[in-house]
Amino acid sequence: MTVTTGPLLRVTGMIKEFPGLRALDDVSLEVDAGEIVAVVGHNGSGKSTLVKILAGVYAKDAGEIEFPASTPDEETQLHIIHQDLGLAMQLNAIENLGIPKYKGFAASLSPSPVKREMAEARQLISRFGEPFDVTVPVGELAPAQRSIIGIARALDGWQHPRNILILDEPTEALHASEVRVLFDAVKKLAAEGAGIIFISHRLDEVLELADRIVVLRDGKKVADEPRAGIEHEHLVELVTGVHAGEAETGRTDRTHGEVVLDIEGLWGEVLDGIDLTVHAGEVVGVAGVLGSGREALPAMVFGSILAAADEFTVSGDSYVKRSPAASIKRGMAFVPGDRGRYGAIRDFTARENMTLPEMQSLTNAVFGLNVRKEKELARELVAKYDVRPPRPEQLFKQFSGGNQQKIVFSKWLRNDPSVLLLEEPTQGVDIGAKQALYDAIDDAAARGAAVVVCSSEAKELVRLCDRVLVLRDGRVAAELSGEELTETRLVLEGYGLADENEFVGGSEEQQ
Amino acid sequence: MKKTEAIPTATEGTKTAPTGGGSWRRILSFRNISAIYIFVVIFALFAIITPKTFLAPGTWVLLLDEQTITVLAALAVLIPLNVAVFNLAIGAEVGFAVILVAVLQVQLQLPWPLAVLFALAAGALIGTISGLIITKLRIDSFIATLGMSSLLTAGLVLMSGQRQILGLGDGFRDFATGGIPLGGTFKITWPVIIMLAVAFVLWYVMEKTPLGRRMYAAGFNPDGARLSGVNVSRLQIGSLVAGGMVAALAGTLLASRINAGDPTVGPNLLLPALTAVFLGSTQFKGGRFNVWGTVVSVYVLAVGVKGLQLLGATDWVENAFNGLALLGAVALSRWERTSKRSAAIKRATTFGRKARAELAEQQAADDPDRAPKA
Repeated sequence: MTVTTGPLLRVTGMIKEFPGLRALDDVSLEVDAGEIVAVVGHNGSGKSTLVKILAGVYAKDAGEIEFPASTPDEETQLHIIHQDLGLAMQLNAIENLGIPKYKGFAASLSPSPVKREMAEARQLISRFGEPFDVTVPVGELAPAQRSIIGIARALDGWQHPRNILILDEPTEALHASEVRVLFDAVKKLAAEGAGIIFISHRLDEVLELADRIVVLRDGKKVADEPRAGIEHEHLVELVTGVHAGEAETGRTDRTHGEVVLDIEGLWGEVLDGIDLTVHAGEVVGVAGVLGSGREALPAMVFGSILAAADEFTVSGDSYVKRSPAASIKRGMAFVPGDRGRYGAIRDFTARENMTLPEMQSLTNAVFGLNVRKEKELARELVAKYDVRPPRPEQLFKQFSGGNQQKIVFSKWLRNDPSVLLLEEPTQGVDIGAKQALYDAIDDAAARGAAVVVCSSEAKELVRLCDRVLVLRDGRVAAELSGEELTETRLVLEGYGLADENEFVGGSEEQQ
Repeated sequence: MKKTEAIPTATEGTKTAPTGGGSWRRILSFRNISAIYIFVVIFALFAIITPKTFLAPGTWVLLLDEQTITVLAALAVLIPLNVAVFNLAIGAEVGFAVILVAVLQVQLQLPWPLAVLFALAAGALIGTISGLIITKLRIDSFIATLGMSSLLTAGLVLMSGQRQILGLGDGFRDFATGGIPLGGTFKITWPVIIMLAVAFVLWYVMEKTPLGRRMYAAGFNPDGARLSGVNVSRLQIGSLVAGGMVAALAGTLLASRINAGDPTVGPNLLLPALTAVFLGSTQFKGGRFNVWGTVVSVYVLAVGVKGLQLLGATDWVENAFNGLALLGAVALSRWERTSKRSAAIKRATTFGRKARAELAEQQAADDPDRAPKA
């Protein structure tokens, strides 16, 4: 390794403000040559904002970014691999690596030197492990091979080893063995003298790869420690901000009624036979890391994603052929995670969105809509759910994220659903609106709805739920309630770290 | 622009404007009813240049009647377009009905009302088939209806042998030429009444009923609509069936007017119909496809063409005028929208600057040592 004249990258006092939210609050960070620094934290902790500022996507509000080791001969460069690799799936590796660069008009029209390009692509890839076919469309390659292309491409113009490489959640789509391929490549680069920033919320990976761990929570840096000194439990505590002993626990104050939703053996996509029973007035959470099957569950119950079930009853009636329209008729409601795309019609007004699922009660004698009645209802809903500005005639897309979500909630809650399915109910929502949405969920449960909440936020699940199912690889890995339902337990169970603590070495043996 | 998207106009921004004094100004604003203003200008212009022919009542009664078939064809495009289904087969559908209604009368000797009913049923069937192709085979509507168009053209050539079919049933001619007399030689013809009735029903369904609301929802965002319980596939098939029947109605009226089964007349309607629908979407409803915008657009375009023809212009004028009017109206609404957007961006950036300044101020107050140098 070359002699260091200081860290490769120094970030000091970084601040980024969004309306109603301080995404980064005085965050400082140093990366030395040859060092792998992991930045971990929950969704919304500020990880992505930090990357985006470094990448130049966002402008910082305050703070400094310096490259102390940079010299005119060896300028330190930032190379970034974003969460979404952004590869063109129909093109092959050579094309994705950008080897056929634009070299002038005449060159564009002359036949490309295929052999030389292939050799160049193979050479780039072979730096990071097993070579593979560079001429097939990358869509046909394994995910790990795609990430290799992603790395190789990010290193375009990497003249000397002492640059910074930032990986933003690179392992999201990878299997365990493929993660290994990626990690070997990253370690190789670090050994050559590069500084690596590794962004992840997968704590097990972080512990494996990193030399140093930086923990962000609500935009603040809460820890910056060498890997050696950090244990699982401690890291979870840092990430969640809750000490294992004094944790907030699940709700026990609700009274439950009859069984409303009863599913036995739900199969589809990743899901591998899930049982789910929810009583009236009960809030059941579904947790799990990305890829565990958590995301698709509510859509499958609602019938918008195809799934098979051994047994499926709603309010005592068997419900086999599921579709959104039929589900609505049975009193089910579904708030999807992507509200702009699935949750609402962006070009409709708030009023039109609110009444869309059920307009029967608003019709007049000649099959028409009673607009006066509809407007009155919309005004009531806007006031009840505190939508701001309180204008039912404003287009949905002109509201802020939190208020959009309030509109989506009001649209489903206005007819007191018997089953309420929620997917990431407070994603991209400011604190004030979040509280209002929690209150709305509590209220719905109090009025007898069976509520299912899928969320990536452990804190949210503990705040809302009587009981939480933790999914892992499409199966229920744990069911937590009462005293057991804590943020720490949720995170540990989600990653399968709980076993590791109990049985030494027996990590993947639990069903 | 996505091909099935209505042309968004600047009114979407002003939708939030509080009602009251401002709403009239909005309703009468140029961007909301540009076609009406264009109409007034065209009218004044030709009234001054060729008052004798242009202002003659005969011209107007004729024009009203003449364009009914284009209006019906445009409405037949409009219905499926509202649920994001593009119907490129409209010209062929009308042409097919023209030949079918003639063949049924001449070769099968059916009485004309029965022939008309069969033609309408055939229109519904064609719509059903197109709908099933789009929803079940999941072929893009653009391609599916292009294929249907080709098949229908083949069918009408087969039936007609590329020749006019003459000798239609007695009384069939009255279907398109008869009407309610207005005194003198003028009358409101049946096609005008039929067109207005169809337009009224469509307007009521699209704007006033839950069905229409669901159609708009499915057109704007099929995925979102489905999750709100809208059966998007069924709406798409249904809209093609309704559109097919309206197209067939236009075809039978056309056959009646020319009193023959002419294989060449139908396909020419595709472009004027599409032009009117898109131009119509810039009118009245701020970027939503709508019935009255479509109807008005057909007539504004027709009046412009008529005026130019009275001035002695030749055949190419019609297409040139339609094309220019469409591009002009759309460009105008786009331009107004982008200018509005640039204004919004300007506001947003100045807000950002202001917010940063406030932030710095606040920091200075919190902690004088750490305040960034302003």
